[in-house]
Amino acid sequence: MEKKIVLPGEKIADSRINAPNTYIDGNATYAAVIGSVDNEGRYISLENRYKPFVGDTIIGMVTDIRRAGYLVDMNIPHSGLIVSREVRLKLQLGDVVLCRVKMVNEVGEVELGEVRRLPKGKIVEFPTAKIPRLIGRKSSMLNLLKEHAGGDVMVGNNGYVWVSEKSDIPLFLKAVEMMKLKAHTSGLTDEIAAMLQKR
Amino acid sequence: MVIIMGEETKDIIMSTIRRDVMKGTLQSGVRFDGRAFDEYRKIEIQKSVIKTAEGSAVANIGNTKVLAAVKFDIMTPFPDRPGLGVFITNAEHLPTASSSFEPGPPREESIEMARVVDRAIRSAECIDLESFFIEKDKVLGLFIDLYVLDHTGNYTDTANIAATAALLDTKMPKLEDGAIIRGEYTGPLKVSSLPISTTMVKVDDYWLVDPSRDEELIQETVLTIGTTEKHVCSMQKGRGAVTKDELLNGIDIAFKSGNDIRKVLKG
Amino acid sequence: MGEKVQLIIDGKRTDGRTPDEMRDIRIEAGILKEADGSSYIEWGGNKIICGVYGPRECIPRHGASPYHAIVKCRYMMSPFASLEEHGRSGPSRRSVELSKVIRETFENLILVEKFPNTQIDLFIDVLQANGGTRTASITAATVALVNAGIPMKDMVSAVAVGKADDTLVLDLNKAEDNQGQSDMPLAISHKDKKLLLVQMDGLLTKEEIAKMVDMADKGCEQLHEMQSAGLKGVYEQEGKKLEW
Repeated sequence: MEKKIVLPGEKIADSRINAPNTYIDGNATYAAVIGSVDNEGRYISLENRYKPFVGDTIIGMVTDIRRAGYLVDMNIPHSGLIVSREVRLKLQLGDVVLCRVKMVNEVGEVELGEVRRLPKGKIVEFPTAKIPRLIGRKSSMLNLLKEHAGGDVMVGNNGYVWVSEKSDIPLFLKAVEMMKLKAHTSGLTDEIAAMLQKR
Repeated sequence: MVIIMGEETKDIIMSTIRRDVMKGTLQSGVRFDGRAFDEYRKIEIQKSVIKTAEGSAVANIGNTKVLAAVKFDIMTPFPDRPGLGVFITNAEHLPTASSSFEPGPPREESIEMARVVDRAIRSAECIDLESFFIEKDKVLGLFIDLYVLDHTGNYTDTANIAATAALLDTKMPKLEDGAIIRGEYTGPLKVSSLPISTTMVKVDDYWLVDPSRDEELIQETVLTIGTTEKHVCSMQKGRGAVTKDELLNGIDIAFKSGNDIRKVLKG
Repeated sequence: MGEKVQLIIDGKRTDGRTPDEMRDIRIEAGILKEADGSSYIEWGGNKIICGVYGPRECIPRHGASPYHAIVKCRYMMSPFASLEEHGRSGPSRRSVELSKVIRETFENLILVEKFPNTQIDLFIDVLQANGGTRTASITAATVALVNAGIPMKDMVSAVAVGKADDTLVLDLNKAEDNQGQSDMPLAISHKDKKLLLVQMDGLLTKEEIAKMVDMADKGCEQLHEMQSAGLKGVYEQEGKKLEW
């Protein structure tokens, strides 16, 4: 499919569309970040900053404990909050958790729910705009990674990826680096598969 | 690095409220203090207020008050301009002048103000720096110190008027064997043109000259244009954006108010 | 009493350019791994590196605004950036002023209200200077901000226009900057054609200023092409076509 790169300030629609990483001026919609537009006019950002939305699945790490609850580093400027009386789990500093965003208020504060503690593993940062690539069509890329690295992998919408300590972490990191670099190129799955198989 | 302090945040919150109220007043063609859009507050100048300086003046625009003092020193010239005297402008925003000024090293607003006034005077070429040459590696240095004493809006223009007035008040020091004899003078400093800046702010769709503190807090754009009798001698846009037409229109406004202020300066 | 240096000879400038010709410019995006966004520009003899971090937690916290992100900018000239003496490191009065006007340029573009209680840091380091560093910095910083994925209304390019030997010239070099009659650095936004940086020294008439804004506008059009190429270059490595 033909795709074209658009830059901030470029018009992407002659109508008012409320979409992430765009803005409306008059009766048209403009790109606010660098993105690509396909021949059906669909705009996808190529770079963006993660902004939490209710319902997002995120991965984070407990960084502080307050009377109100646990503070979670989740790759945004503020910590997310797990209200202690709403979780049965007793969490500790450094615990890696998988949660769902329950609430985001006007000033960007986030409350988290549906908390699950993840076993020991490593958190890897991955650009949120490229996450669809990390997962692949019908999770093809993710399955490929799990299979070759030999352990579990979880992807948060917030750009934190958790990989189990049982995996071949160096191999996983190598694949992730390659994906970051080439996320926007065609034939990526094949290329990664070839790289993984060579090992 | 520059940090906007809590005070500023409070100002921003207040300003959203103020802006709505002010818009209504502006639509009827007047400002809160009853002035027309292109009208300055009352300008008053008092010269020779500091006897220990070679020249000085206090300028008031409304209640905004800036003291300018001129001192001379013997200096080594800048290596790339060996035949020229040195001209340096400094500014202090005294903490007594406003709750938003803090003691300590100069913050960006005072540095910017000093540099904007400096550029207007330097560009206007109103002082003959060649006449400050004494001998090889020895020139006169002229210091203008600007003290913002009371800030109720538009300290930049007030400082510029004070600086130009202080230059007009300046007496050349007597020199003997390449040294300054303090307290003895040879005559007035020659000032060949009068650089004056005009600051205007955009609120809603209106351009207001000589902003009050109220107007500064809600300004969308601020533009300072310095003029001499014939030329534009400096420009500085702070916050906001301007179009080419707004800029050219601003130049017309700056010449008009600049000429009015020059009349006041000449007495 | 410096001898007058002739800056225009037979319609050509000291570096052989015509009055409305810009110097050679090369812009690259995403050159730093750690920063959220970055860029590098070579513009004539200028070499400038730009890094963007954020939106991130505002420090100090009482400096934050619940309405919008705070934009912070630090422009700095390296002590080895000029052919002359070793400069002082750390902020100078000049760099404080430039940091302010550069910040005010981008405050107009960044959609700051999307990130309350945060700050966005823009770091600009001039490694080698040859006149026109503030305009080159703005041009490069735009690229770094876009590279960081920070939402913006528009892009901006900047170039200085000036007057040397009574001729209006685009993109002043160091000699023209130091010895010319006037210098007017301008930043112009691409979509809305708004002037986001306006500074000027020297003596000019209104008519000259009007002409100079038009000259800068043409220069900025060219710069936008280069910024755009630099940004797209990130996604078009190894001749591979963009898939999504």
